[in-house]
Amino acid sequence: MKMRPLIALPMIAMAASCLAARAEPAKGDRALGEYLAGECVACHQVTGQASGAVPPIVAWPEDQFIAVMKSYKNKDRDNQIMQTLAGRLNTSEIEALAAYFGSLALQPMKN
Amino acid sequence: MLMNRRRMLVGSSVFGSALALGAPVVLGQAKQRVVVIGGGPGGATAAKYIAKDSGGALDVVLVEPASQFVTCFHSNLYLGGFRSLQSITHGYDKLTANYGIRHARQMATQIDRDKKQVVLADGTRLSYDRLVVSPGIDLKYDSVPGWGQAHEETMPHAWKAGKQTEILKARLDAVPNGGLIVMIAPPNPYRCPPGPYERVSMMAHVLKSAGKKDAKIVIIDPKESFSKQGLFQQGWDTYYPGMVEWLGPKIHEGVKSVDPKTNTVETGFETYKNAALVNVIPAQMAGKIARDSGLANGSGFCAIDPETMRSTIDANIYVLGDACIAGDMPKSAFAANSQAKVAAMNVRAELTSARAFPARYANTCWSLIAPDDTVKVGGSYASKDGKIAAVETFVSKNGETQTMRKEQQGENMGWYAGITNDMFG
Repeated sequence: MKMRPLIALPMIAMAASCLAARAEPAKGDRALGEYLAGECVACHQVTGQASGAVPPIVAWPEDQFIAVMKSYKNKDRDNQIMQTLAGRLNTSEIEALAAYFGSLALQPMKN
Repeated sequence: MLMNRRRMLVGSSVFGSALALGAPVVLGQAKQRVVVIGGGPGGATAAKYIAKDSGGALDVVLVEPASQFVTCFHSNLYLGGFRSLQSITHGYDKLTANYGIRHARQMATQIDRDKKQVVLADGTRLSYDRLVVSPGIDLKYDSVPGWGQAHEETMPHAWKAGKQTEILKARLDAVPNGGLIVMIAPPNPYRCPPGPYERVSMMAHVLKSAGKKDAKIVIIDPKESFSKQGLFQQGWDTYYPGMVEWLGPKIHEGVKSVDPKTNTVETGFETYKNAALVNVIPAQMAGKIARDSGLANGSGFCAIDPETMRSTIDANIYVLGDACIAGDMPKSAFAANSQAKVAAMNVRAELTSARAFPARYANTCWSLIAPDDTVKVGGSYASKDGKIAAVETFVSKNGETQTMRKEQQGENMGWYAGITNDMFG
């Protein structure tokens, strides 16, 4: 079954903010993840804020992040951009991204 | 003394004296310096990422005469009435306040590559250890017969956002019902491949919304085909039937001349007289500072090493964005932002102990055809066979649901917020 990503992701993010405190230790290469994240933060706010139809991806449990990225990679989720970008990430790169974004804290909205 | 002087320099957005810039000995030469020329998408991103990720270990100076940047991306949405000009205008204050980037509000007039110095408009010489050149495009004012820089108010290009964009919008809003708009589209390569055609869509939307159903838009295009052509043309047929006419070179046989005094455009096929608006988007080349410094080749753009974004001419210089030859990547703000991160990583790896990873790039360009109908094209890219080559690409398809097209407009707006925060925030 194909999930609607734009509905599913904020729910996961909400769960993530509750679970972040007892997340497993990072197994991914955070420095690699920070570099790879350059592609992600061209759309997704590094502050963890949602904007437009672009959902937040900060502070998720790493296993959730990895599962979502793999579902895009396998084209189980719709979105051409995410399928394309996830499609060329290998497992260690996805784990690196999960470690990096998982380590970031949601920042309060300014203004 | 040293700390006081540093604090003064860091806190200032304008360099007060040549001494401060030209004499690094005053600063103790403790830090290596990276100078970034150009405060657009490429330059702002590079300056931010180099400064942020080096944690103060490098002295980063952004050379940009303007205090604010109006993004070319989404300027078509301003034209169409979907955004304010203010909402696409960004200052450099966060870059200076949050990351310690120093903003030299001057034009860079020369790069002295032998001495590794940038010469500013007031004669100040700014030494660098590494230089990032991201000047964007210059327009070839001699590429359309009869048109030139003196005519850019009567026949605006609006291919550099700001005052030109405002002129174009005012002129568009004044087009009467039954009036004619002629767009002279640019030859490849140029900034923002779908841009002219999104612009036509926004022009048509404005005319339609104002009830000017008898107005017409003719596109004189030097290219045989254009980005997202099938998507745009079906959109024009659907939303603006009979309003938009696209003519390729085999039909119009070239622009013979334009006359800004009479708003006439003469082609080999037809002469359009008394146009209500002529939008001339001329041929383009890398910004002057890049060409004058010998960084550009015969194409007018700058060759780079696809693994690093380093100039193939000078190993101390990186060239980003619209000014560089980026292989399969289009000239877009998204691309410049992506390239800037590769350059920033390599600059830090050279000057600090930072790790460097294999280069990878990405791009997506959204285009608004009508309210809630947005299409996109994009891809992922990597270094291959001596160029930045596409790994995988995608493009919207005709027949997508309205829901999907509306969601893509949501992505488009979200992307704008995200990427401008990534560049200027």
